[in-house]
Amino acid sequence: MAISSVPKTNAPPPGTAGISVRDLSVHYGNFEALKDVNLSIEAGLVTALVGPSGCGKSSFLHSLNRLTDLVPGCKVKGSVRFGNGGESCGPGVDVLALRRRVGMVFQKPNPFPQSIRRNFEIPLREHGVRRKEISEVIEKCLRDVGLWDEVSDRLDRSAMALSGGQQQRLCIARALALDPDVILFDEPCSALDPMASAVVEEHIAALRGRITVAIVTHNLAQARRISDRVAVFWIRNGSGTIIEHGPTKEVFSNPVDPSSRCYLEGGCG
Amino acid sequence: MCRLRVDWLVRHVLGLLAVVAGGLVLVIVWYLFQGAKPALESGLPRRFFGDPEWQPGSVRDPQYGLVPMLAGSFLVTVFATALATPLGIAGAVFYQFYVPARVSRWNLRCMELLAGMPAVVLGFWGLMVVVPAISRLEPPGQSLLAAALVLALMILPIIALTSQAALSAVPLSHLQAAAGLGIGRAGMIWNIALPAAKGGIGSGVLLALARAIGETLVVVMLCGNIAQIPGSVFDPIRPVTSTIALEMGYATASHKALLYAGGLILVLVIGLLVGGLSFRRKPNHNTVH
Amino acid sequence: MTSLISSRFTTRRSRVQDWLFGGIGAIASLVTLGALGWILADLVKMGLPHLSVEFFTADMKSAGREGGIGPMIVSTFLILVCFLFPAIPLGVGCAFWLSEYVQGGSRIARAVTGGVDLLASVPSIVFGLFGMSFFCQVLGLGFSILSGGLTLTCMVLPILVRTTLSAMTSLPPDLRPAAGALGLTRATTLWQILLPAALPGIMIGITLGVGRALAETAALLFTSGYSTRWPESIHDSGRAISVHIYDLAMNIPNGGGKASASALVLLLMILAINLVASLLADRCLKSQYIS
Ligand SMILES: Nc1ncnc2c1ncn2[C@@H]1O[C@H](COP(=O)(O)OP(=O)(O)O)[C@@H](O)[C@H]1O
Ligand SMILES: [Mg+2]
Repeated sequence: MAISSVPKTNAPPPGTAGISVRDLSVHYGNFEALKDVNLSIEAGLVTALVGPSGCGKSSFLHSLNRLTDLVPGCKVKGSVRFGNGGESCGPGVDVLALRRRVGMVFQKPNPFPQSIRRNFEIPLREHGVRRKEISEVIEKCLRDVGLWDEVSDRLDRSAMALSGGQQQRLCIARALALDPDVILFDEPCSALDPMASAVVEEHIAALRGRITVAIVTHNLAQARRISDRVAVFWIRNGSGTIIEHGPTKEVFSNPVDPSSRCYLEGGCG
Repeated sequence: MCRLRVDWLVRHVLGLLAVVAGGLVLVIVWYLFQGAKPALESGLPRRFFGDPEWQPGSVRDPQYGLVPMLAGSFLVTVFATALATPLGIAGAVFYQFYVPARVSRWNLRCMELLAGMPAVVLGFWGLMVVVPAISRLEPPGQSLLAAALVLALMILPIIALTSQAALSAVPLSHLQAAAGLGIGRAGMIWNIALPAAKGGIGSGVLLALARAIGETLVVVMLCGNIAQIPGSVFDPIRPVTSTIALEMGYATASHKALLYAGGLILVLVIGLLVGGLSFRRKPNHNTVH
Repeated sequence: MTSLISSRFTTRRSRVQDWLFGGIGAIASLVTLGALGWILADLVKMGLPHLSVEFFTADMKSAGREGGIGPMIVSTFLILVCFLFPAIPLGVGCAFWLSEYVQGGSRIARAVTGGVDLLASVPSIVFGLFGMSFFCQVLGLGFSILSGGLTLTCMVLPILVRTTLSAMTSLPPDLRPAAGALGLTRATTLWQILLPAALPGIMIGITLGVGRALAETAALLFTSGYSTRWPESIHDSGRAISVHIYDLAMNIPNGGGKASASALVLLLMILAINLVASLLADRCLKSQYIS
């Protein structure tokens, strides 16, 4: 498994932004799914979010790009800042612009049931990209995920005819097309077979240095392979929270929290 | 922020459309009520049940007896439903449990065809075929029996289709359990499948009943249209719907108000039937009819 | 299922019961299908001799005993246009709002769906009564194709709302977050992503609605009128095919032959509409398999 060896940078590369999350909590109705989450996601690095199911990792990602707004009865409190920008949690934020800066790739590949080209055109036109430039963007982004050679001759056919792995790479390319600073991945490989999963993983790893990446994964080996930082989620007092975070090597080799030690060593969770 | 303005506009335009669509029924009921008001105010309601006859157009001695019409509606509806229910359920059982799915699918097509048959075509056929046949037995032929027979044919597919849907929704595991106990096919149908599908079949029958009360064309063409309480099934009748259809073209003043009152009664009775049905059904189990 | 429930090992009593149930069912089915076949055979036997090209294009003669139904076909078509024009935005828009802009369980959503369901239970003669006095008299549209179309709009609206709504709720649920994550507005999501995906389902609703409208007579008797002239505009009165059948059957002695022919035409139109609907339904199923 070849991982592109981008040097770990100290200064954030231009065009990316770190995320700083303070005292974040997420409620679904009366149920507190996340509580007291504090985390700095560093610019240009890959941060893996791990932990057992149901401890609020998806909720965390969704509160970063405000997809929680789409869930009736969901309340998010706390502070989220991208780079040097202002507060992006709370009212009065241009949510659509925020979502353009913060892309997301979901567990199940979710291309729109239209042609491959339309999958790019709809969001690009929405964000004011001119028609002439669109083909160029499509080619560049599809090349970025290694899909161009596979689909360049059938851009006008349905995206639903692609294989699962291809669909997922299409979704990554579609997120890249909006030129985001950050991409959030929510278990992007868990619906794919091992071969497709390896290809997708490779392309995520290749984003390191260009874009800030936060990736939820249940595959600890994958987290170890591609991430620079890792944060472990756990349920405490009925709500999810981060029990440990730091550089991947340190956390994996010497976890401090007993629950996370147990989890990372594969004993429980 | 032009996009957001478009978004706002779309939301409100759609909301307006939805309110119009949802409120339409209120407009109609309110309208009927307004139209029926003169009839409700002028002391007529007492005469609805007191007057022996229906002669609202008569200048010298108008008669406002609604009872014959309500009786006509009631009788033809109940008669037709009573005819259609056993046929519909027996057919559904037959195609669900006795016939291979391939054949059963063709029956489904036929039932859909019958369900989509325009009422006026059924009424016309009844006039050409059923009425002469009955008049050979006992004139005049246009009668409670003729209307009920054709009406039964019209609502039968509703009962058959909903019953078969309810029977096919009975979990296979229940039937397997019965088969595993050595219970025969008939016993399984009688003791397991029909009780489990009772709710769905009942809804189908009530729906058919509601449809029959409101049906106009078949009835107006076949029932003979004489406002009386029939002495036998061979006598003509005149249900509420056909009264409206026949008289709305020329009715004026309090006569017209009476027709609105008749319409209001129909809407309320059917609304109660169907409303009660959807109340009984599980909330998120809405089907298209 | 049939193979699973073999009656080989049942006792004699249950075998008798089995035969009894099967026999009753077979008789019930024979009666029903026999009646259907009888109706169709009669219509074909009486109507087919009258069918010709002229029947579709010619004027009516001798109160309907002779000639064709050309004007009625045109009127029917115009009534359908007048019915669809307001019905589609109203029905589809209502369903869109219910599925995308309000929560299913909220009070306003329940009120609107309840209203639409109640509307579905109103009998067609009541729509006729309402249409005659509201559209024809209060709005001053007179006995016209437009009045008839608007009356049908009220009547068929629930079908459109219900089918569109079920098409929307059966869309893959992850389309909405996918669109949201790309920063699309709800309006864009609706028009560019959800509408194209739900279109076959919506078309099914529209074809079903057209079938229902074609079959309707009671709501049209006193709204679109009886005129047998060629309609020149939607403000003219025009007789629908179904009303024509009614008139021939009830008021014209010896009108049976032409009435059967008209009924046959109407039936064929409805069959064609149903065929379109089931083809669309097949396509819906197929596209669901792909995704
Ligand atoms: N839309 C929702 N409504 C109510 N509860 C939810 C919703 N989404 C998630 N939850 C609850 O929030 C908790 C965290 O869920 P999630 O963020 O999906 O966890 P993870 O992604 O770590 O498996 C779970 O207990 C889940 O049941
Ligand atoms: Mg998750």
